[in-house]
Amino acid sequence: MSTTLIDRINPPKDTSIESHRHSLVRILSLGLLALSLLGMAATLIIFFLYPEGKEQGTMLAFVSAVVATITSIVIYHVNKRSSTAASLLLLFLLVGVSIFSDTPEQLANGRSLFIFTLPIIMSSILLMPSASFIFAALSTIIVVVLASTARIPPNLIAITSFFMLALVSWLSARSLERALKELRAINANLDQVVTERTQALAESLERERIEAGRNQAILNSIADGVVVFDTKWNAILANPALKSMLDLPIELIVNKNFRDLIEHPRLSPRSRGLLYAMMEHDTQPPSFRIEWGKKTISISAAQVYDNSKEGNQNIGTVTVFRDFTREAEVEKLKSTFVAIVSHELRTPLNAILGYAEMFKESVYGPVNEKQVNMADRIMKNTQRLLGLINDLLDQAQMEAGKLTIKMAPVKPAELLENLHSVMDQIVHEKGLKLTSEIDDNLPEALNGDGARLHQILVNLVNNAVKFTDHGTVHVRLFCPFGNRWGFEVSDTGRGIPEPEIPNIFETFRQVEGAATRVHGGFGLGLSIVKQLVNLMSGEIKVKSKVDRGSTFTVILPLIVPEETLEIGRNS
Amino acid sequence: MNELALIIEDDEDLGDIFAEALRGVGFEVEHIEDGEVAQERLKHGAVPYLILLDMHVPHISGAELLTNIIKKDERFAKTIVILTTADARMGEAYTEQADFVMIKPISFVQLRDLSNRLKPQAK
Repeated sequence: MSTTLIDRINPPKDTSIESHRHSLVRILSLGLLALSLLGMAATLIIFFLYPEGKEQGTMLAFVSAVVATITSIVIYHVNKRSSTAASLLLLFLLVGVSIFSDTPEQLANGRSLFIFTLPIIMSSILLMPSASFIFAALSTIIVVVLASTARIPPNLIAITSFFMLALVSWLSARSLERALKELRAINANLDQVVTERTQALAESLERERIEAGRNQAILNSIADGVVVFDTKWNAILANPALKSMLDLPIELIVNKNFRDLIEHPRLSPRSRGLLYAMMEHDTQPPSFRIEWGKKTISISAAQVYDNSKEGNQNIGTVTVFRDFTREAEVEKLKSTFVAIVSHELRTPLNAILGYAEMFKESVYGPVNEKQVNMADRIMKNTQRLLGLINDLLDQAQMEAGKLTIKMAPVKPAELLENLHSVMDQIVHEKGLKLTSEIDDNLPEALNGDGARLHQILVNLVNNAVKFTDHGTVHVRLFCPFGNRWGFEVSDTGRGIPEPEIPNIFETFRQVEGAATRVHGGFGLGLSIVKQLVNLMSGEIKVKSKVDRGSTFTVILPLIVPEETLEIGRNS
Repeated sequence: MNELALIIEDDEDLGDIFAEALRGVGFEVEHIEDGEVAQERLKHGAVPYLILLDMHVPHISGAELLTNIIKKDERFAKTIVILTTADARMGEAYTEQADFVMIKPISFVQLRDLSNRLKPQAK
């Protein structure tokens, strides 16, 4: 089959006029052969039917038919080698037959004069366009000779018309030849184009086949379930992983609408709601988790856009299902662990703290100054340990994404009051001063997470105290612009070297290794502050000069609780 | 006759410290370490003047005791409830139901001073 295709695509190069003439001569020779055989048969029939009359004429006709038969066979064979020779032979035969076809009188100037026009016309087609003139000349000579034999004057008008005919034949044969040439050129060009197009098509089909095979292999080999939906949420493609993950036959997924899958009884009602919400969202849906029977599956979806069309048209959605069962179990274990640790670690520390306090308070009898001092140290170290545990637990919760911000009305004045109650003693013990102020333009109450804001302030002040040996730690609450509020904690400490500033919010980081030993702690304080500020959609900045001090500024979105607004309106 | 303070706290040492703080300001103290026992005691025993209730006690949690018994029984209408927990978030959720919520670690001095203020004589 491919051979025929190639033959069609690549036609034989020999498209010259020669082959055209070749076939023409062949047809003529065969035609002549057929006619000669018919003539032979006819003369034989006449010979047997009327043996008594016209013997000489019949014999002549029979002989001519035999000669014509032989000649046509010869021409046919000659034509196989050279069409020009065969054409010449045919034309001369025609001329010869013409000469003996009638009486010289009739041929020179009578009813058979027209017979000489045949070789003239045929020569222009069989040999070359200009050959018509040669045969016109040949015919003229023959007519003149025949006329002289018959002793009559040659027909000059006929001779003139021979040349006229030669001219017409030459012109028409020439234009025919040209038209044929052009046609062949067009054909060849067309063939070329068809060849190229066919090849390009075959190549692109091949490429597409390879591409499709590759995509299928990728889809089949990935462990995540993948399903492709059209714009109407009909599943057009799904991979084997999805089938085994959902434990459903592929027929229940592919060529079905997503709604059919969502209504499956193995899906929890909450998950159903999430999936419907995903279908209704036109924008990029986020990833979320669903419960499928006993499995937890994380789903993420991405819309597919056709970039080639104008306006970036949406052409469907690719949804990836990931089996999250194990991870969900581990997460649950982790949060249970965190809860247990938080309780189990804090309880004995609380006991240590309580007994130390009782000792210091002389509950079971008087204690001396040294003993009070010792109890103090036990208490302080326990507090420190509790602080570290709290930091670690916060960090663990943030990593697990469990730490959430709960917004409620908060009074800035109370924030400062709580800060002073926790930090005053610590600051005082180090011989420093803790001062604070609230700008007048700050509302009396604002929405925020009181406990977390307190934690941020305590951590920042703690950090300032840690790195300040003398001077003041100052806290200012303010409204920088429009819908923002914030606070800054500045100290007169040793400052942070410029290259270290970008790193100070990193987990378990302290400026220089030595500082860790001097100041203790995990270096989690600032990292937690930064993460909490991020959770509150705020930002934190640091300005610092070595030996001059540092200023940490936190800017947060300002949302004034409705109650405050109403009070403001009433008053 | 001293007023009765009931401590429901599963940690023996903490119970001991809390008891000492309350006793120090003149309460008579009863200490229970188990939720189920506490439930029986609350249902059938004398009504305490003050309850120091830990949220995490075995079998029946402090939160359940608060919601299902103390808040539902008229006898406890005048009883002062101090809820203790290590989880600040959990504590916040119960600020409406309990009179006081103390977040662990709880200071001996802090508890002593608070209970001193809550004593009947202080009224």
